[in-house]
Amino acid sequence: MWRVLRRLECVLPALALVGGAVGCKPAEPARPAPTTLVVAQNNDPGSFNPAITTSGNVHPVTDQIFNGLVGLDETLSPIPELAERWDVADGGRTYTFHLRQGVRWHDGQPFTSADVTFTFEQALLQFHSRTRAALSNVLIGIDAPDAHTVVFRFREPYAPLLQRLDVVEASILPRHLFAGTDLLSAPANLQPVGTGPFRFVAYRKGEFVELARNPDYFRPGLPAIDRLMFRITPSATTAVMALERGEIDYLPGIPGSELARLQADQSLTVVRASGGSGGSFCQEVVIPNLSRPALRDLRVRRAIYQALDRQAIADRVYFGQGTPSTGPISRQLRWAYAPDVRAYPHDPAQAERLLDEAGYRRTGADPRLTLTFTHPTTSSRLGQALRDQLKQVGIDLRLEALDFNASVEKTFVRKDFDLGFASFCNGADPEIGVRRVYASNNIGPIPFSNGAGYRSDPADGLFQQAATTLDRAARVQLYASLQRVLVDDLPYFWMLDSDGARAYRRRFSGFRLWSGAFAETVAEAGTR
Amino acid sequence: MTPARLGRFALRRAAQAIPVVGGIVTLTFFLIHLAPGDPVYMMAGEGGDAGYYAEMRGRYGLDRPLAEQYVRYLGAVAQGDLGHSYAYQRPVLGVIVERLPATLLLSGAALAIAVGAGLAFGLVAALAPASHADVWLRVLTSAIFAAPVFWVGQLLLLVFAVLVPVFPVGGLTSLREGSSAGLGDVVWHLVLPAACLSFGFLAALARVLRGSLSVEIRREYVRAARARGDSTARAVLAHAFPNALLPALTLIGHQVGYLLTGAGLAEVVFGWPGIGRLLLDASSQRDYPLVVAVLLTVSWLVVAANVVTDTLYVAADPRLES
Repeated sequence: MWRVLRRLECVLPALALVGGAVGCKPAEPARPAPTTLVVAQNNDPGSFNPAITTSGNVHPVTDQIFNGLVGLDETLSPIPELAERWDVADGGRTYTFHLRQGVRWHDGQPFTSADVTFTFEQALLQFHSRTRAALSNVLIGIDAPDAHTVVFRFREPYAPLLQRLDVVEASILPRHLFAGTDLLSAPANLQPVGTGPFRFVAYRKGEFVELARNPDYFRPGLPAIDRLMFRITPSATTAVMALERGEIDYLPGIPGSELARLQADQSLTVVRASGGSGGSFCQEVVIPNLSRPALRDLRVRRAIYQALDRQAIADRVYFGQGTPSTGPISRQLRWAYAPDVRAYPHDPAQAERLLDEAGYRRTGADPRLTLTFTHPTTSSRLGQALRDQLKQVGIDLRLEALDFNASVEKTFVRKDFDLGFASFCNGADPEIGVRRVYASNNIGPIPFSNGAGYRSDPADGLFQQAATTLDRAARVQLYASLQRVLVDDLPYFWMLDSDGARAYRRRFSGFRLWSGAFAETVAEAGTR
Repeated sequence: MTPARLGRFALRRAAQAIPVVGGIVTLTFFLIHLAPGDPVYMMAGEGGDAGYYAEMRGRYGLDRPLAEQYVRYLGAVAQGDLGHSYAYQRPVLGVIVERLPATLLLSGAALAIAVGAGLAFGLVAALAPASHADVWLRVLTSAIFAAPVFWVGQLLLLVFAVLVPVFPVGGLTSLREGSSAGLGDVVWHLVLPAACLSFGFLAALARVLRGSLSVEIRREYVRAARARGDSTARAVLAHAFPNALLPALTLIGHQVGYLLTGAGLAEVVFGWPGIGRLLLDASSQRDYPLVVAVLLTVSWLVVAANVVTDTLYVAADPRLES
């Protein structure tokens, strides 16, 4: 029977379901079984150009195929990648990168400085939303004096550049495949060619992406696995079962309700991490619309924040996958985080006093205040917890659950909300993911911008100063001051510093959980 | 009835469906465009400035008035161009053609299971009314009919993939050996999703057949057949069963549409890469051209199934042509 089926495969190779990769070759001598790591991914990537999108569906795959000029180590300090070393001159206005020699693209072409200038000028500064918004106004130009040197020239000192050049923020594309094409529809977007540890093999939409070890990778001995499969698994529950069953080896996100079961499984390792392609050091944040009279009143905002038992929310809504936030920078972004800020402990009595002071008094059974919480359906549990806790202090919270896209539009674009919700990711530097949320020049119909509509000259000034100060110790002080200003003003309700659980089969090790290129150093026990 | 006449009948029915499909396309086009959300946010990602998002909308023609976008879309469809997917950066027709076989395989397998088991259950229940088998089958089919696909799917996975690991958890093929999977592997992966998708239809079919067959076996022609010496089995199978099949045939025709559109939930639970899941993904990403094109494709498939059913009916009983 099996032989008949195998013959059928050869006769019907056009059968789309099994076509393309059906094996009908004659038998070959036995070789050691290749090491395969199967990774769960909940959405289709669609295409594979990391320099034109920040999409969390694209980057987990492409960050294994491409490289940045620099990498980031576990402390988020820059380490050599495509650039072997770099010099900073003119007080931070000029960065010179000396590129690694002998690097080749997966198709054998040599990697040169022309690839870097092309990627920045034609892709990142045109289409990559974050890089374009951050660099286009401060960058004078990028020069390539020779094939292995690239020079970035800025109008003013620019401190966070090195944190913006990793594979997540600035993947380098092969110029020879994209020059002269429309980057939004180039054929190379579907057949990606990078310099990274894995090369692209196949993509079956809705099913999997297959990558294979790059034998010519510039880091000797890496990667240690032969094949990397991304299995598209839209249901989180199904992905957990597939992990338990051994069909999947690495699960980058675990539903809270499944966490205890996976932790008890001896064949699995469950770890906490907060970095990677999908966004690093994220915070779950409730956004007050500061154009609403009640929410413009600082006493009301403080009352709401103190009415919330955020530890209970962390435990019961997020199943312990995070710690209550203390301010606008996640404690996971260790170097910039400042704990010594005003505290808002859970204190319903104080919340009631503040609401009385603000003129929102209890009158019989009527609520003091009625607000609507506009949120994506994935945050419904948070909505229910907020409603229950705010009810204790006389605030009636109505829940408006929308699909993710509609929720973003209503909150950030139409500004038609009282309380909104977002998961804001800080990135490797506050300049990447924090400033956009508080800067007064970023209030507008833009997703994940300053949705509250907060304006503060001191905060704007501190952000600008921190961006143009090269000395890390001085920046730490500036960000500490900034956090005190923001926590005093309380323009957002920071709920949780996310610290999501990830699980992998115990026989694997070496995951770089803080990095986009998480699989580069993974090894399986007993293999090379 | 001659084949030529049947063909003309089928063509006439298909032509009658054109306005319906046109209406579905128009309604879908406006509903998905008017829903809050913007494909540019999903395509390009977050953190950009206002100028960037405006420029991207311009590139895709999303800054034009909706009526103008609709007229342009109709013009393109008239020339055979169903549009370009934002997410896949390819013509939508190509994306659908890649995903459709998986849905047809899943729906076809579910149809086969439902028809085979549904008719068998209905027959057993009708032949022994009020027996233990009949009562249990009625209770079972009622329960199955009421259970939602996603719940049944997760239950099947828990039992047959985790507790008793007989079948794989999901997907179309095993990935451990890379992409070189065989047909047997596909069939192994097909069993649970097809069973899950078939259950509701199976239950409905069993109940319909039980009802119609219970009536038919009491008719005089069945008694006459037995009086002529036919065995009970022959009297039922050769005489009553074909007549009792007509209502079941109607149900089968109509349920084909359900199997195609209802496959989406099963596809999500089992990670099956069909067009139901494609539609859900495209909707959440506001991939407008892909959403409209998938619904257009499904509409035509449902129309085709109904035309086939109606034609079979007319073939069986030419009086129904009018």
